[in-house]
Amino acid sequence: MAGLAGATVLALSLLLTALSFYGLIGFEHGGFDSSLLGDPYFHSVLRFSLKQAGLSALLSLLLAWPVARALYYHPGLPLKQGFLQLCLLCFTMPTLVLITGLVALLGRSGLVTPLLGEGWNLYGLNGILIAHVYLNLPFAVRALLLALQHIPDSSWRLAAQLKLGPWQRLCLIEWPALRNSLLPLFGFIFVLCFNSFAVVLALGGGPRATTLEVAIYQALKYDFNLPEALTLAWTQLLIAGGLFLLLARLGSTHWLGVDSARKPRTPRPSATQQQLHGLVYGAAWLFLLLPIAALLPGLLDADLIRFDWPAVLRPALITLFLGLGASVTALSAAYLMLTPIRRARLANQRRLTLALEWLATHTLVAPALVLSVGLYILLLPLVDLDRYGMLLVLLLNTAVVIPFAVQQLRPRLLQFDSQYDRLGRSLKLGVRQRLAIEWPFVRRACLATFGLVMLLAMGDVAIFSIFGNADWTTLPWLIYGYAGTYRLQEASVASALLLGLCALVLRIFERERQNA
Amino acid sequence: MKASLLFCSTLALSTLALTSAPSGVLADTADLRVYTYDSFVSEWGPGPQLEQAFEQQCGCDLEYIAVEDGVSILNRLRIEGAGNKADVILGIDDALIEETRATGLLQPHGLDLGGLKAELAWHDADFVPFDYGYFAFVYDSTRVTEPATSLRALIESDASVIYQDPRTSTPGQGLMLWVKSVYGDAAPDAWKQLAGHTVTVTKGWWEAYSLFLEGDADYVLSYSTSPAYHQVAENKQQYKAAAFSEGHVAQIEVGAVTKTSANPELARRFLQFLVSPEAQAIIPVTNWMLPVIDGVELPNAFDSLIQPQRIGFTPQQVQDGRRAWLREWRSAASQ
Repeated sequence: MAGLAGATVLALSLLLTALSFYGLIGFEHGGFDSSLLGDPYFHSVLRFSLKQAGLSALLSLLLAWPVARALYYHPGLPLKQGFLQLCLLCFTMPTLVLITGLVALLGRSGLVTPLLGEGWNLYGLNGILIAHVYLNLPFAVRALLLALQHIPDSSWRLAAQLKLGPWQRLCLIEWPALRNSLLPLFGFIFVLCFNSFAVVLALGGGPRATTLEVAIYQALKYDFNLPEALTLAWTQLLIAGGLFLLLARLGSTHWLGVDSARKPRTPRPSATQQQLHGLVYGAAWLFLLLPIAALLPGLLDADLIRFDWPAVLRPALITLFLGLGASVTALSAAYLMLTPIRRARLANQRRLTLALEWLATHTLVAPALVLSVGLYILLLPLVDLDRYGMLLVLLLNTAVVIPFAVQQLRPRLLQFDSQYDRLGRSLKLGVRQRLAIEWPFVRRACLATFGLVMLLAMGDVAIFSIFGNADWTTLPWLIYGYAGTYRLQEASVASALLLGLCALVLRIFERERQNA
Repeated sequence: MKASLLFCSTLALSTLALTSAPSGVLADTADLRVYTYDSFVSEWGPGPQLEQAFEQQCGCDLEYIAVEDGVSILNRLRIEGAGNKADVILGIDDALIEETRATGLLQPHGLDLGGLKAELAWHDADFVPFDYGYFAFVYDSTRVTEPATSLRALIESDASVIYQDPRTSTPGQGLMLWVKSVYGDAAPDAWKQLAGHTVTVTKGWWEAYSLFLEGDADYVLSYSTSPAYHQVAENKQQYKAAAFSEGHVAQIEVGAVTKTSANPELARRFLQFLVSPEAQAIIPVTNWMLPVIDGVELPNAFDSLIQPQRIGFTPQQVQDGRRAWLREWRSAASQ
């Protein structure tokens, strides 16, 4: 039963993508514009997209590593839980908020800029990298920390008996534990940065900094050149999708289930090391907090008393609802999608497992813009989108966050299978009984995943801009509405509200998770 | 447990608020449907006031269907073809007129537009202008005391500039036309020179404008009417638009009646209403653009705005040249 439902959900998600591509291909004279592939402009755009994504992913990992080590060797660091929650918040930070924060901090009149010397210029590759590292370093920290925590106690006992030095411990114990998560992590961050767009343009300093997404946006919107858009979309799907397939082959990143209760028996670091770790930890706090703090002066300027609070109440609630709806659906869909994957895995069918996993996460690499515009073109003549558009906002947001849910739930469910599947079968447990055993095992992972996908869906503007309806304005869309009509102070107040709302949701879910 | 309780009560509250709010479901009975862009119908945009005033006049029911922006109105028409729901489209700008006309989905407005301002020199049979503004570089007069007096002077200076990407935004395309009409074949050199002191090129208007307000550039590409907003809404006097001696390129926002309109007479009446003194007094202080007729009473701030000479291209020239000019910008500005 569950297997059938899982296969259906997988087929539905594939159908959604296929339909949107069909929408683009089927409209007027759709097709493939192969002349584009020889265009030097296209080459330079592709080169830049690859370069910035590669550098962003590399830097995020390199900088996250010492932070993760500090957290691992010092479980007693102050405010550790708060830091890990801040990490999640940063990962899902709306780009609008991030750009404003970074510019208030590091721009020409930024708060920190005077300390950076004459030659400092935020705009250019450094701006892009700072923003991308800000968004993805927190993600990497949590993932690497989790990988380190999987080092078995026996390894450390052995290391103590053999009197391994720090360098040997690093090479023989830490590295093998990290190795498996490094490549998938790199790939994941790479894909996220590869698809980045508004941040790249705003901080890139000029048209040299153009990613494939800009070209897709231009083709779809300003030129309404569907063959060109399709060609670009296929390219993106091929590159990002290929990389992602490679990533799926190499394993999966599991980073939400940070387990703070368990204190590993790590060797006691020396006093110098302790100081160094404390320093790294403090620096990470500063790095993540400063851009948020830089927004405060702007907030103080705004007239909070005269601010039209009722105007933001409804959008805020709609945003919460949208987030809740998308995360409930995405979580259920992800769970069902994982059923055939788990079966294939238990039956040792490697290729099938890989194919199914790719299917379940393919909406991560398909450009969201292409998905929504394709469906829009297909559905506009068929369905009254002015009436039912919000359903599509919900549906597409769900589709876009499903890969995150699949990725987060997968390791825990596979672990369950490897520990209890045999037992369950030998005891001839029914579906209900199995679920009753499974639930306590996956509950914490579920709650953490729920919070993450809810935050991601709450930040959406790309999908809403196409299917949304002015009567159902969400908070992020309202922020853009304010910002687009001179009301930048209102925009910053609404941004703060959105950020606060995200933090609140995060707290609720993390607290539930810890109590679970 | 506490958290779950909190969560449930939030849910209950939200349901209450959502159901008690005005219904978002569209009435099928509207007499006049208008496709327009989101910020036009927002609470602080011109949409609600215009709707109220027109409905009082005609005793009919007007309904807006809003899409993201002006370009999206055209794209929606292209996708829907003859199956569109609109009686009127509102918010395409003059640079997109020819592409929109080419869809063959519009009909002549048949209105006498003799009352329009002479500087618009408007003779289009299909489109009716309802507001306009000049693209202009805005600066903070407390920081820039001797502003550039011509586009050439600005481009040859080393003042920091932020503008928008012509691939993704309307003001960006405006600057592209501006540079092209001032420099002609020498445009690539101008772009290269400008690139030397360009801080950044953003996706849309608000990114550029908020970077400017954060103090990240001396000049930002915006509209000649931008200072009016700061004066009227924020009582801030320091923001000014620089008047350039070569003249400025205008953006004219237009409306038109669709061929498939079930109620073309009412649609025409609506367009006629838009250029009436009553509507023209509403639009400038909500959409922050200029009225298209003379003699409209406006806040004093509008008197202090620059009054540029209009230069630029015809919609036909824009349609013909756009692709090549974009390429020209792309390769020159990225060096």
